Parts: sequence; structure tokens; C-alpha cells
Amino acid sequence: MNILGIGTIFSQGSGIDALESALENGPLQPADVDALYGADGKRKAFTVDFDSVPDKGMLKKIRRADKLSKMSVVAAAAAVTDSGITDLSDKRVGIILSTAFGAHVTTFEFLDGIIDYGEKNVSPTSFSNSVHNAAASYISTSLDIKGPTLTVARFRFSFQSALELGKSWLEQGRCDYLLLGAVDQYGDVLGYVSENKLNPALEGEIKPFSFGQGGHIPGECSVFFLLGHELTSSSYCSIDGVYTAHDPNSAEKVNLNVLSADGMLKDESLYLQHLSPEISVAAYSPLFGSIMTGGAMNIAAAALTIKKQQTYASPGNSAFPGLKIVNASEPSTISTIRCIDVNCRGECATVYLGRLRDIT
Amino acid sequence: MVKSDFLITGLGSVSAAGDSLESSLVSVGAGVRNSGSVSIFSTSLTYPVFEYKGPLDSGTKMEGSRTLALLLKAVEEALFDSGLHETRGLRIGICIGTTVASQLNDLGFYRAYRETGTTSLDPVDLFLKGNPAEFLSHRLGTKGPALTIVNACSSGTDALGVALSWLKSDLCDIAIAGGADELSLIPYAGFSSLGILNPGLCAPFDRDRKGLNLGEGAGVMVIEKRSLALSRGVTPSLFLAGYGLSSDAYHLTAPSPEGIGLKTSIDAALSEAGISPHEISFVNAHGTGTQDNDQVEGKVLSEIFGSDLTFLSTKGYTGHTLGAAGGIEGVFTAAGLKEGWIPASAGFCLQDDNIPISPVKVRTEISGRYALSTSLAFGGNNAAVVIGLEGR
Repeated sequence: MNILGIGTIFSQGSGIDALESALENGPLQPADVDALYGADGKRKAFTVDFDSVPDKGMLKKIRRADKLSKMSVVAAAAAVTDSGITDLSDKRVGIILSTAFGAHVTTFEFLDGIIDYGEKNVSPTSFSNSVHNAAASYISTSLDIKGPTLTVARFRFSFQSALELGKSWLEQGRCDYLLLGAVDQYGDVLGYVSENKLNPALEGEIKPFSFGQGGHIPGECSVFFLLGHELTSSSYCSIDGVYTAHDPNSAEKVNLNVLSADGMLKDESLYLQHLSPEISVAAYSPLFGSIMTGGAMNIAAAALTIKKQQTYASPGNSAFPGLKIVNASEPSTISTIRCIDVNCRGECATVYLGRLRDIT
Repeated sequence: MVKSDFLITGLGSVSAAGDSLESSLVSVGAGVRNSGSVSIFSTSLTYPVFEYKGPLDSGTKMEGSRTLALLLKAVEEALFDSGLHETRGLRIGICIGTTVASQLNDLGFYRAYRETGTTSLDPVDLFLKGNPAEFLSHRLGTKGPALTIVNACSSGTDALGVALSWLKSDLCDIAIAGGADELSLIPYAGFSSLGILNPGLCAPFDRDRKGLNLGEGAGVMVIEKRSLALSRGVTPSLFLAGYGLSSDAYHLTAPSPEGIGLKTSIDAALSEAGISPHEISFVNAHGTGTQDNDQVEGKVLSEIFGSDLTFLSTKGYTGHTLGAAGGIEGVFTAAGLKEGWIPASAGFCLQDDNIPISPVKVRTEISGRYALSTSLAFGGNNAAVVIGLEGR
């Protein structure tokens, strides 16, 4: 299957152009976010605002949706626009949305209702928006997509697992196109949890190649891919393999490894066993933050790398003994990229991207 | 590829209807409805529920999660039924639907955090260890894909369908699939706020239906490639034949009045099974007992299958078990085919003039080869699976 279009929304803006700009220009400072109940008052996080969204009409249409759903709709719509496919209404399109935590912010709003007003006086709108598949529902209604629609969750490997399933769906003809993406939201409770469970990035920056020693900064984002078998002039690359259980190609030589290392694991040296001194490596979490489903953003960055045939300098620290970290943004011949994600149990998920031969 | 390439070799179910599939069949066959007040959490609401009262010993109450304990009980039964005694290292996919286990919604934790700005993270640790598919995969030591489906009330049916997709794509040789959910204050209060909980017992498809009752439980199937099952000495019987899903693209909480999405999902499931509607011997409908769901579902089922369709809702025996519903109902559907009978559709008495068909009022003999189980969900999701029986 091929990536026909990509849409994003993250702390540096919305759309694939925002991601490309971030890859070219590097990280921005995270925001100071109010800690609603924490003693210290402020926390650092890479948060999304909707000022950068060009289509304010769409946001107005989904004004009753929560932030998680709005981010999802914005990214999904941007992926369709980016593909150049102007009308999906007469096509067989499916949706798979992956998320680690779902609408937890809205869930806690609902709990606020129980605590403040009692079980008999809670908000039905809050409850219906707190259901995990609400975001996919908003995508389907906003874009008038009536095909197979699914929401899945598997923490760190939510997105890769969705991609593995999406590949099956397209191969089996359950749909002809698939809007497949990831979304996760920052919230006060998750801020408290990550502050107390994970190492903070004391230097104010995520350093993926410190392999967990540099700490994390929470983020939020949504990224969607329009996938299909066809080849268009806007296509990015092919997805040649997705493995969440066992990667039979782990010894295969690729041009570039892209890591999801983001400081969330206490020991990210687990990534090292999947790397080789001969293969260049990059990691882009400093651009958008530490997010369980951030692997999807790294895959978007990798897809852009192949499409543009240029490397993007890996932000954060740029040296680690024995590793060839991408230090410059420059034209380069890239045919294959392996995107690697590792979870706290040391399990690995890999996604292989390949250059489309008919695209020059 | 023949239709029965993916055999259902094990079934497991736990709900208010029984602590095993066998006991559930006895119970529903006798028309028993094990409903009552909520006892597992404190609440000021008084809507009846279908709570599981059977044993959940501490050994299986994993990670402090009732959902995982229910899941494990159903999985153990399904694995025993399949004769699959060793799972470690096998290419087994795990796909489980849920709603409650996917949400970080511990009220005690959140209340303490709000009040003090600091609290123990133990509930978060339990949540992070409690993704049902990941938990089960690690517990069983399997080597295959693992995925938790969070598609609201169709999650369990979708999990069965995802398993079928995995098997067809050779991502695994065996799949353990279904759904699990515990009763929780959060959806209990949420459904109350939506005004769709029944103050009495639910009456799916009845003229005077007044809403749904929540329930809890788990329903799980072991599905495997025919060749592997035969090599283990399994005698082919049930098989998973087809799956369809769709979105209404209509409304967050209400089904499309025309039921186009449900029709699409049923058509897709029949198409994958390679059968026509008249080959369906009965339908285990979603049948929640709410006004909207039952009206739309009745309309669509009558349009596709005709006025003499044999159908029922088993929610009158289990309550609406949310993410578990599709798993439990899939298991009941398979059991109905295999045993050759289905129970009366509990709670149904009077035909609704707006619903052209009526569910069965008495235990009914079944002689066909295929049956359908349907699910509708929040968000406008629709899902259907076709289950077949060899040898008829």
C-alpha cells in the first residue's frame, strides 16, 4: 500500500507543511501549561492550538466536539486535501483511528460532573464525547465517509497495530482507500502522571539519543495518512512491511532508521539492539513531544524524507558513539527507511517505507 | 479458498446468564433473567443491571481489574473447549473489544488528585498493565498481533472480524477474539444521563420497551486455520465465515433512521461468507431495548431477510455488556447453531407497529447452516459477523 496524503496537527501547526517546516527549522520551546491541581503551578508540554488551522468552517461544524476529536478531524481532512483526491464520496473509504489514551480529558470532565453535581446530573454530551470512538465518528460525519470505521488502542504500538490491520483491509478489499491515523491529547492528569512516573527533560529539550537519560516533555498531536494501492503524483512512498510481533526483515539493510525514542522509557538503550553503525539514524520527537502514539509522527517525517529525497537533521543531541546520526538537512538518495518503536517491555514494532519507483 | 477455512474451535462465555457457556445455555433455555441492583460499586442510581455473581477468584482477578478477570475466565473456557492447552510461542493473535478497560477513569484516584494535587499512581499502573489484548498476550506468552478494539458497543463483534482479517492475511495461525467489560459507575451514570436506561427490565423489540439494562461479562472464541485445527485432531464444526462493518456518518449517539450503515455491514458480512440472506437461519440482533436501536434494526433486518426471519436479542439475559456484547452474542450465536436451538427473546411480549418483524417468544429449534450476529454502536458504527456450521 502507498501513502497518498498526510495530515498533521501538532504544537508547531497543522498540515504537512507545518511538519516539513519543523523538520527544516528544528524544535520550538514547549508551552508553560497550568497545572490545575499540582503544587508547582506550571508544567512544560507541547500543546496544540487551532489558530493554524486554515479551514475554520470545519472547526465550526464540529464545535461540540472535544479537542481530541477536533485534532483528529483536522488531521484527517488535511490528509485528504494533501492527497489531491478531491472527492472521496463516491469511493470505498475506511477509517482506522489509533489512540493510547483516548478522550481522557473529556473523561475527567465527566468525572468532574459526578464529583461536583452527582451521578444524576452529569452531562450527556461529556459522556458521549468521552467514548473512544467519538473522534472517528466525527471524522466520518465531517468527511461523509461510510466505510469500515474502527478505533483501536494498544498504548505504544497503537498506531503500528492499526497500520498492520489496515494493510490487511486493503489487501482483502474491505475498502479501496483508508484514512488511518493516530491521536493523543495532553491533559492535566496525564501531565501529573508523566511528571511523577517519568524523567523530566531537565534541559528543556528532548534528546532521543541520550536513550532515556535526557527525559521527556509531554506532547499532543494527531497525524493521519490516506492510504491506497494507487499511485498519484502526490504519493509519498510505499509501506512495504508492518510488524508488531516478529520482524522477519530486521537484518535487512535500509538507508535510514527512524526511531520513536522520546524519553518516555526509563531505558531507551533498548533501541540500540536494532541499530547498526553503518545505517544512518534519526529521531524527531523533539519537534512534537513525548507521545505514546508519536511513532506515527516519526513515520510521517520518514515518508516526507523519501518523497523529498532529502534528509532532515535529527533534532536534539547529535552524537552517540557508534551511531551515524543524521546531522544535516540535505538532498540524499533514500530508497528504504525502517521506523522503529520500542515499548517498556522491550518489544519492538517496525514499519518499512520504500521509494515509489514511478515517482521521480 | 473454501468457506470454512477458519474454524471456531473453542467458545467461552461469562455473564449474568452463567459462569460458563454450558451454564448460560441452561439458564437462558429456562428463561432465567439474573438482574438486580448494583452491588459492586456505590451509586445513588437505581436502574437494574445484569451483574456477574459467579466466582472470580483472586488468582484470576488480574491487575486489580474485574474486566481482565472476566476475560480470563472466558478465555480459559474457550481454550479448554478448543483443546489448546499450550499457547506459549505459538503464532496466536489476540483481539479483544472493550470500553471500560480502555479508559483511565478511576474515580477515587481522580477525586484524590483534585483534592490534594497529589495521589498514589497505583491505579494508573494498573491501567497501563490492563490493556486487555496486551495483558492476554503476555499472560499466554503468544507470538502474534495483539490489539484492543475500542469501537464502543460493537467492539466485541469487530474483534471477531479483525481476527478473521488477521487469519486471512496470515498474520497468525490462531486467534483468540471477543470482548470483555465490567460494570462501572462511569457508563452507568453516562447512559443514565442519556435517558436510555430502563427502570425495569429491558424488553428488546417490544412495543412498550423503555430502554436498556447494563450488564457485564466476556465472550471469547478460539478461531484457527482449518489445516492447523485438523492437524491437532479437531473435528470441524463451527466456522467464522464473514464480517462487515460500516459507519453511518450520521450522529454521535443515534443510529441513522434508514439503517443504511447496518445494511451495508450485513451485506458485507454475507458477501464475505459467500451466501445469500435466505441461507441465514437466525439472527442474534443487537436489540438493546431502546426506541431508536430496535426500530432501525427491525426495519433493516426485515428488509434484508423478510418478514418470517427468526431472530432474537440475548440482552434480555445478559444486559448490554458494551464492549463484551459482540463477543458474548457471537458465542451465543455459535452455540445456537451447534445446539440446534435458540432461547426466547427475553422481555418481548407485544409487537411494535413500527417494527415489521417480531423476535421469537419461545425456545425455537434451528436447522440451518448459517447465523448472523449484529452490533450497533455509539458513533454510528455497525458490525456483523456470519457464523457457519459444517455438516448440515
